[in-house]
Amino acid sequence: MIAFACSMMDAEAYRRYAGPGIARAAEPGSVILPLANPAGPARGANLALETAARLPDLEALVLVHERMELTDPDTCATVRAALSDPEVGLAGCVGATGAPGLAWWEGQVVSAPIVHRYHEHGGGDLAAFAWTHPAPAPGEVDTLDGSLLVLSPWAVREMRFDEGLHLPHGHDHDLCRQVRAAGRRLLVADLPAVRHHPLKLIDDLDIWVESHVAVARKWAVAQDDEDWRARARRAEAEREAARTVAYSNASLLEARVAELEGRLAAVTASPSWQLTEPLRRLNAARRARGGSRPG
Amino acid sequence: MIAFATAVTKPDVHARCALPGIRRAAEPDSVVLDGPATGTIFESYNAILDRAAGLEDLEALVLVHQDAELVTDGFCAIARRALEDPEVGLVGCVGAIGVRSIAWWEGSVTQASFANRYDEHGGGDLPAFSWDWSDAPPYARTGEVETLDGFVLVLSPWVAREVRFDVALGGFHGYDLDFCLQVRERGRKVVTADFRAIHHRPLQMIPDLDEWTRAHIRVGEKWDGRMAHVGEGAGSWQDRALRAEAETAAARVVAQWRALEAEARVLQAERALAEATNSLGWKLTASLRRS
Repeated sequence: MIAFACSMMDAEAYRRYAGPGIARAAEPGSVILPLANPAGPARGANLALETAARLPDLEALVLVHERMELTDPDTCATVRAALSDPEVGLAGCVGATGAPGLAWWEGQVVSAPIVHRYHEHGGGDLAAFAWTHPAPAPGEVDTLDGSLLVLSPWAVREMRFDEGLHLPHGHDHDLCRQVRAAGRRLLVADLPAVRHHPLKLIDDLDIWVESHVAVARKWAVAQDDEDWRARARRAEAEREAARTVAYSNASLLEARVAELEGRLAAVTASPSWQLTEPLRRLNAARRARGGSRPG
Repeated sequence: MIAFATAVTKPDVHARCALPGIRRAAEPDSVVLDGPATGTIFESYNAILDRAAGLEDLEALVLVHQDAELVTDGFCAIARRALEDPEVGLVGCVGAIGVRSIAWWEGSVTQASFANRYDEHGGGDLPAFSWDWSDAPPYARTGEVETLDGFVLVLSPWVAREVRFDVALGGFHGYDLDFCLQVRERGRKVVTADFRAIHHRPLQMIPDLDEWTRAHIRVGEKWDGRMAHVGEGAGSWQDRALRAEAETAAARVVAQWRALEAEARVLQAERALAEATNSLGWKLTASLRRS
């Protein structure tokens, strides 16, 4: 039996996104565990693991973020195929190799087809993480994004999210490292989904930075021979370069948007546009009448 | 006599940008020392300094990047006024305090009297915050700083004779901060003055990231413990490494978020533009617009 769980902060998001996706993906015998998040992501997810560990005949636990919508009715078959290798401890829909920290998108990314659905600027769909140029799933990785995690029965019994990491980010990355340290493998499976998320990728950047430091510090203990001075010098240089590049890129993009918006403004300010304004109003009214016509 | 000099690697850029500005700024007796660059900017500028040091009656040497255009009338009078104080060694129009690395713009910039003129996406100007003093923020002011942007540097005769660019630092990046630090270490002041310049350059600020990173490290190592705060950071080396790595990742993700944001705005504008130009009214009035 494949169980689904969502430890949620925002019940409305679950009702709109994760809930319908789970309903689409679940099998008749599946157990669905919608759980209120009592105190932080690690404790909430651990509650799901502990609950699932008591379920008889558990084949897998699918942990779904409240804003993640599964779109494939054959999700369970994909989950079973991913876990058919007993060495696989965790699977997900996007992950990477070679990423040193929480920012898995800086590694070589492997991804299922995920749509990023946003509501700003008139709304729209983008191919999620297209900017990382991901390889298609399936593929083995060394870290997974936690918005969709499939845990093997072994992982459900033996692994726990680290509640000692008090900040809200990085528990997924930490769990992946734990699983790998225990000798199991991580896989990106072909699990299509819609990610309902604002364009802003990280809402609380300062806290994300602190989370990154906390997870790095936890796993840096094993690196006593590191030349920290050289590493710090390089990292500080790269940080300032990254900030400068971010600023430059923003200026470039702003110039591109300004060019387009200027063209649009030129069109709408033209005499011919203003001359045909009554025609557009008439058309809009006709469309509105047509839309409300019964049957 | 005030001399002007440029290290030229792109004669067309020099002719289009630096030269008109120098002609505008120079006085009848000014000497102009332009010529092809000789190696790195450190080496080229040192060659210029050697030539300028031999000039009689030198009041100041103005080093101008080939893509920088001086635009202020009465530039020489402003330079003279700034150098009246014999303790002043260097003058510029963009400067900062609280500087810890070659990314001086991460310090507190006190004056930025320039505009970035770019060609991308139809071209445009990005005026910096003290291009127009009537619109400048409260922290904008002329006066003493820790470093200057090297795109325009005015050197006192003492500096032209006594200080040289450190060729050990690399090819380009960090030459300005290092030069300012040398001047300050030797007891002279670095100041900004009220003149303006246009920097004709692409919006991409660091085209060669690896070289920039190496220069950042070299300058940090050179000045750490020698000049207050330069190359310093809070915590142990491990603390600094882990924090900087996290902040690097954060900066990159912000860049991606802004790219997504821009992509969404572009899509929205393209949708609106397509809707407008495909409308019946727009097509019907095409002949009107042609006439």
